[in-house]
Amino acid sequence: MADDKTPAQDNPYTQTHVVAAGETLGKIAQKYYGDASLYQQIFDANRDVLKDPNKIFPGQKLRIP
Amino acid sequence: MKKQLSWLMAAMMAMLIVGCANQKGPAEQAVAGAESALNAIRDTAQKYVPDQLAAVDTQLASLKDSLGKGDYKTVVAGAPGLNAAINSLKDATAAKAAEAEAAMAKAKEAWGSMSTDVPKMVAALQSRVDMLSKSHHLPSGVTKDSLASAKTGLDSMKSAWADASAAATSGDFSTAMAKATAVKDQATAMMQSLGMSSG
Repeated sequence: MADDKTPAQDNPYTQTHVVAAGETLGKIAQKYYGDASLYQQIFDANRDVLKDPNKIFPGQKLRIP
Repeated sequence: MKKQLSWLMAAMMAMLIVGCANQKGPAEQAVAGAESALNAIRDTAQKYVPDQLAAVDTQLASLKDSLGKGDYKTVVAGAPGLNAAINSLKDATAAKAAEAEAAMAKAKEAWGSMSTDVPKMVAALQSRVDMLSKSHHLPSGVTKDSLASAKTGLDSMKSAWADASAAATSGDFSTAMAKATAVKDQATAMMQSLGMSSG
């Protein structure tokens, strides 16, 4: 399938998550993957909006690959 | 008197023979014309209205049979009915062909967005399945079974999508859309089973 490599940021079917107060990437990874240690993948998929995995803000819309 | 009757009988026989001979030409012409008109639409009619074509073929065969037996009167009498049936067949064929053409045009138009959407759905699913496969625990609502089923389902979706694309490439957009719609429905259900609604 040619579009198998569609980047997450260009894919409207990639799930999104709006950051709530007190959340961390680890908590978000735990919620969606059941494993907090996979936070780095969420960070990598959102490098265009996140500069530091420890700095996320309420209201930010993140892609969940 | 007896001689006069014989003459009258002979004259009547002669008239009958001449009359029959007079109908031979029109009868042959009627059958040839009907056959030619039917052959002109045979392939298309076979594709769109095969039952109606079969009925007209039966009618034609009956008249040809009468022609072969020299029953020209029956042929001439039956020709208008056969011609009307052929005209009706022609109209039905044209209507069905136009219907099929419109459906194909609609499918072709729908294929445009489908061919963009489905691969993206599959890519998003593949990404999620890859992530869940790396996870030591699964999130709530996702079971080992649903993940295993998603992996298998992805393979079958890719295969079905390849078939849909091949059909579209060959110009059969109706088949392409039928297959693509099935893949999209499967992808939608799989996204739900993996908890992929945005929030």
